[in-house]
Amino acid sequence: MSNFTLPCAKMTDFPANGNHFCYGERTETSASERKIIMLSVTDLHKSYQVGKNTYEVLKGITLEVGKGEFVAVMGPSGSGKTTLLNCISCYIPANEGSILLGDMELARLDEDSLAKVRNQKLGFVFQDFLLLDGLTVRQNILLPAIIGGSINQQTENRADQLCQVFGISAIQNKYPAEISGGEKQRTAVARALINHPMLILADEPTGNLDSKSTRAVISAFEQAKSSLDATIFMVTHDSYAASFCDRVIILKDGLVWRTLTHNHDGDEMQDRLAFQDRLLDAIREMGKE
Amino acid sequence: MKTFTEVYAELRRGNRKQYALLAGCCFFSVLLITAYSCMMRAPTILSILPEGGDSRKQVMMIFVLAVIGCGVFTAYASGLFFRHKSREIGIFMALGASRRQIRGQLQKELSLISVATCAVGTILGAPLAWLVWQIFRLMVVDTEEMVLRFDPQAYLFSLAFSIFVIVMLYFMGSRFIRRTNIVDIVQESHKSEPIKDVPRWYGVVGIVLLLAGGFLGYMAPSFFILGLRWYPPEGLMSIFYLPALVGLYMILLQTVVNGWGGKKKQYKDLISTSMMKFQGRQTVRNMLVMTLLIAGAYFASFYTPMMGTGAMLGYDLRPVDYVYSWRDDQNVPGEAEVLAMAEEYGVTVTDITQVPMIRLAVDGYRNVEEETPIGIVWHEEYRETLASDLFFSEFSYTALTGETLGLQPGQVAAVMDSDGSGKYRFAGNASVITNFLTGQKQTVECQEIVKNEALFGHYVMNDADYAAMSEGLTSEWTEQFVAFNVENCADTYDFAKALFYRIVDSSDEKVAVLEHWDPVQRAEKIETEGIYMYDRENSAERGIELIDYDQRDSSGFRLFWKYMPAFRVLDKADFVKTMAVYLTLFIFITVICFAAVIVIAFTRCMTIALTNAQVYDDLRHLGAPNAYLYNSVRGQVKRVFLVPIIVGTTLIYCFYMMIMYFNGDPAGITSGEFAGLVTCFGVIVAVSALLYGVYRITLKRVCAALQLKPSK
Repeated sequence: MSNFTLPCAKMTDFPANGNHFCYGERTETSASERKIIMLSVTDLHKSYQVGKNTYEVLKGITLEVGKGEFVAVMGPSGSGKTTLLNCISCYIPANEGSILLGDMELARLDEDSLAKVRNQKLGFVFQDFLLLDGLTVRQNILLPAIIGGSINQQTENRADQLCQVFGISAIQNKYPAEISGGEKQRTAVARALINHPMLILADEPTGNLDSKSTRAVISAFEQAKSSLDATIFMVTHDSYAASFCDRVIILKDGLVWRTLTHNHDGDEMQDRLAFQDRLLDAIREMGKE
Repeated sequence: MKTFTEVYAELRRGNRKQYALLAGCCFFSVLLITAYSCMMRAPTILSILPEGGDSRKQVMMIFVLAVIGCGVFTAYASGLFFRHKSREIGIFMALGASRRQIRGQLQKELSLISVATCAVGTILGAPLAWLVWQIFRLMVVDTEEMVLRFDPQAYLFSLAFSIFVIVMLYFMGSRFIRRTNIVDIVQESHKSEPIKDVPRWYGVVGIVLLLAGGFLGYMAPSFFILGLRWYPPEGLMSIFYLPALVGLYMILLQTVVNGWGGKKKQYKDLISTSMMKFQGRQTVRNMLVMTLLIAGAYFASFYTPMMGTGAMLGYDLRPVDYVYSWRDDQNVPGEAEVLAMAEEYGVTVTDITQVPMIRLAVDGYRNVEEETPIGIVWHEEYRETLASDLFFSEFSYTALTGETLGLQPGQVAAVMDSDGSGKYRFAGNASVITNFLTGQKQTVECQEIVKNEALFGHYVMNDADYAAMSEGLTSEWTEQFVAFNVENCADTYDFAKALFYRIVDSSDEKVAVLEHWDPVQRAEKIETEGIYMYDRENSAERGIELIDYDQRDSSGFRLFWKYMPAFRVLDKADFVKTMAVYLTLFIFITVICFAAVIVIAFTRCMTIALTNAQVYDDLRHLGAPNAYLYNSVRGQVKRVFLVPIIVGTTLIYCFYMMIMYFNGDPAGITSGEFAGLVTCFGVIVAVSALLYGVYRITLKRVCAALQLKPSK
């Protein structure tokens, strides 16, 4: 696996055109600055056949996500966000290109291995939470570990820790029908983290939530990132949720249109609001094209 | 909870209802098929339904329908189960469970459910059949012959069906796992199976094809057998019904895809029609099976009223209260003993006549069948002594009826029934008659056809000819015929029964024969083939029921004994008893078919509700009021229920009318048939009311599943 430098300290907007996209120029960096690339997508193509027509949804996406990064993907409907996420999630195969998860090429894996990847290397957070109604919050959190056959005292302890981190310890014996949307999504985040995944994939995680719950879920992601060193790749329509990310990749017509990087060097609130403004400006600009 | 199996068990507890529904449907279908096959293969039933006869074919045909129906509703119940399961399976897969891992768990569950329910269904099938039978015996009629005996071979059907259910569940489970798409689950995609656009002329063409197919299917055998003198293979005959099936499918397609209203109605029903369209294939297939089952159920249920009404009317048409006959070699009570017995029972005999008859051979054409490369063909072969018939002298006829025919030497008159429906049994067209013992022949001319229900099937001949032809006949070829009326006939049941028993007790083994037994045919068969199948010693080994004097009250005895008296009061009062086995069997079949229809309709409607739950939620969010949503649900449930009921009922009623119309010679509907059809209509009204009740309950359940309030 090749290591890339991650000079995310400097806020830079990169126009993305295929191979050109990166975190900046590769520079000589110290070992402490060197970060591991968790996800590397190269020239990804995906098309769908509907009747006699073929629709090319992804037309050559290239991107990378480093360990501990919180990256959002935005873009108008039809831009390919969900398809990109589905390909990375191993739900659908891509037609061309490569997806490297760590040093593992997903396209080369068979179905059972892909299932193993989903279980052990990836964590999922869905818009509709997708918790099992017949299981308690705690049982839902433990589910990926149970599926993977890796449940032990350590996993139980980790479930306790996750419940504590995300503030759901009090409701861990309740059923999904008995808790709020925000609590459900925090449960889903905890579930996504139970197997120490390399990458958390979140599909519109705040899409069904009110502003208070949205904040709580974003906090959960931030905590996952800061406390557990989680890497998060989130698809969202919500510029507010995206403004908390380190980087936002904007897709248009199946290609990376622009990448915006969050400046973390000033007042946290001011930086976030400025980043959100830049996001909205970029979206407005895209609308004019 | 540490293993995947434990997670499954935990979820199973939460989804008890879905498991119960699937297990219930598997159990119910195996139970019904086992009960049906036990009944169908019971020696009690088989001895009544003649081998190769229409009744047995009908029972078999409806059994096939019931198997299809039960198979379909089990398949849809499992479909419903998997639909419920799809979310959790999708989540498992999204979280990294492999298909193999899930398949293992699911198939373990399905195997357990299917094997357990099939085993219990199979075990309880026979007791159910026995219980239902006992209830009928208790509530409707009880005769000695109704002691139900089972043939263990019936369990072969049950076993085969159970294997089908187990394999089907296994296969559907595998297919479900194979087809489950995580993206569909995680993104809540709406699954659909739309039908291609259906032109609006489908409905009209469907009706035409349905009518044409029904007519062709019914008429084709007559055309081939009578017109071309060829017995085509059964499969070929069935082809003529195909247009009817295609037509039925087109009608259902039209109903599901376009509806029958105009453009205005089309917009009013936009939501319900569109929803049905997107579940089109399964819905149409369901409705097709339901239609056929309803038709089968009614076909079976019409048997009882048609038989009953026709028979009752036939009894009333008889001009004489009591009629019976016996061979002169038997010591059966005659006029004097009858009068003595009547006195003993306090019955007043108003008029009584006893006259002699002679049995002569008659000529006719025999159908000779030949095996050819294209199947069995037949040709007619004239035989001077084809069979035998009974002849009255004109004197006797006048004594019996008071009518004078004025027959000249060489003239005979055939006595037919009033509506011509019995012509297939007695053509009445003899041209040469023969004294089978002396060989004396006489050419006769059928001068006049007279109608008399009591004397149907006999000839009347000139007195001089009668005397001449009687010469040399032994007592095996001569018979006595007694006819009498009584006062207050309806009150003379005890007397009738006692006389009937006396007649049976006075008859010996020589006349313990079926009505088909004919001494002339017997002689010919023994001469050519060395054996006559209607002789007692040969009947048993060919599965033909024997006449047993100890079973005098059985259906078999009363329907098929050659010398069975025709006593109006006895026939009327014992009709249900006489027909008990038939009635019970056909009522049983009806119950099973309607039960299958109800389960299919219910599971289909619930499937529609569950499949469209998201759409209803969306519509609710778009501001659709409860009343609007309720109407769209009702529209769909109504279609699933009403269309098969209306089409199936109309179809079978018209088909039955057609059968009745072409049954007689000349074609037409007799008064008995008309009365039977009216009674059948009454059955339709009663069953429709029951089905309406089920429709209301289903609608309520569907509304509850979609969280809709019933609206006026």
